[in-house]
Amino acid sequence: MPALWLAVFFLAPLAFTVVFSFGRPTFGGVVPDFTLDNYAAALSGFYGATFLRTIAFAASASALCLGAALPVAYFVARHTRRHRALAIALIVVPYFSSFLIRLMSLHMLMSRDGAVQGMLNALHLHHGPLDVLDTRTAVFIGMVYGYLPIAVVPLFVVIDRIPRALIEASRDLGASRWQTFRFITLPMIRPGIATAILLTMVPMLGELVVPRLLGGDRGMLMGQAISAQYLQSQNYALGSAMAVLVLVAVAIIVAVLARITRGFAEVGR
Amino acid sequence: MTAREYARTGWKEYATHASLRLWYAAAVVFLFAPIVAALVYSFNLGVLGNETATLTGWTLQWYPAAWNDLTLRHSIVSSLDVAFWSSLLSVVIGSALGYAIVRHPSGRVRHLLAALTYILLIVPESVIAVSLLLLYSVTRISLDTATLVTGITPMAIAVVALVVRARMLTLDRRVEDAAADLGSTRLKTLWFIVLPQLTPAVAAGGVMAYTFSFDNLVVSAFLSTPQVTTLPVYLYGSLQYGPSPTVYAAVSAVFMFTMLMLGLAAVLYRLARRPFAARITP
Repeated sequence: MPALWLAVFFLAPLAFTVVFSFGRPTFGGVVPDFTLDNYAAALSGFYGATFLRTIAFAASASALCLGAALPVAYFVARHTRRHRALAIALIVVPYFSSFLIRLMSLHMLMSRDGAVQGMLNALHLHHGPLDVLDTRTAVFIGMVYGYLPIAVVPLFVVIDRIPRALIEASRDLGASRWQTFRFITLPMIRPGIATAILLTMVPMLGELVVPRLLGGDRGMLMGQAISAQYLQSQNYALGSAMAVLVLVAVAIIVAVLARITRGFAEVGR
Repeated sequence: MTAREYARTGWKEYATHASLRLWYAAAVVFLFAPIVAALVYSFNLGVLGNETATLTGWTLQWYPAAWNDLTLRHSIVSSLDVAFWSSLLSVVIGSALGYAIVRHPSGRVRHLLAALTYILLIVPESVIAVSLLLLYSVTRISLDTATLVTGITPMAIAVVALVVRARMLTLDRRVEDAAADLGSTRLKTLWFIVLPQLTPAVAAGGVMAYTFSFDNLVVSAFLSTPQVTTLPVYLYGSLQYGPSPTVYAAVSAVFMFTMLMLGLAAVLYRLARRPFAARITP
């Protein structure tokens, strides 16, 4: 029963998209055909640049997110005992409130004469009005903000699972804190890192709210480009081809991550 | 080790701990700042009925104003409607999926279903949304609440399935085998043995699905119509001409409601977990 539902409302539409991506566009429609023109259009010129920019953007934002999340997860897993549930809840709770609203508030905070400007000026880190909105930096901040919680959770789970005795043994045998982290902890949390990358980078590839809200019209990303093809230009064929390209990028990421963590899947079973 | 070395490692230990704690605190502040800001701005007077970045004074007027705004109220009602149906559907389908991932007799089917669940989570929302838009334009089905629900359910189903699956993995299979040995049919075992143990997971998954559906923007933006406009879509549209403070008031109210629901889910999860263990070990 679940398979049937998903087949109708999930797999069938995806199949349509793939078929359309090979079709020839007419205004507001598509003639079935087998042509690669749409892919050529989607990979060249402006759209090609957008596609590459999106991938680079998602990769770096995801890395930044991971870098920010790792110490948080490490702290909660290692340095809390009694308040652990509360510590992880504090990170996750914001994820359940409306994403759009949090972005709108972030917009308010970062705007000219906003709270962040006041704070930075008070700390003498910045002088005068703050013009961070509508820049790439703002989009970066928004992305890290939005996806930090889902990067922390998988990291927390894997760090928590490492036996404490292993760490103590490494320390007893003379390894420094850094060496212990580098050679014991880091290899063991690889699957968590892979999951965190997957959960942050993939949605970033299709993200269209953050860049639209915080980045203005500049620095258009793939999600916006696709929606523009559907809702404005009505070029369904090109839009489909771009959507399929995003899917291919996602598939490649998944394949690479699966390869990195291959040894672990076998151990896990 | 000499006393001096002890003192040194102790100091290093302390420094690491302190810096990690500082980082954690900064992350929490970063995550909560916009939420607090939204609450604060919902009490802000603003200028000429528009929200402003600088606080211009305190007022409670935006809450009743939000309540009296018919478009806003209509969009909240239609959000609730969509979230209700999509969470109901995804609880039924997602639970079945979560159960099948763990207990289906064929290993190949189990793997396939698990893969399908992960794909559901992985495919970017905008891709699902445009695909459905295509499907409905080709089949000439007009967009309404039902079509919007079908667009949101795939992700909600995956969320429920993963929560239920996690719970299924902790269940003792021998209890089900014992029931079968004692002459229970498969359906009876499912109803009297498995389902009661799954209840907390199903409830928690349902609440999560509800929250996600209520908050969904990307799919809703593609599949909404003037008649069916959910709250996030309305907010997104209102950004074109600057958000009004009523929006912040409405959203703060919704946020408090969401927190209440989540708290309820947490309590349900804990409550439902304990009595069952007590029932099994008399």
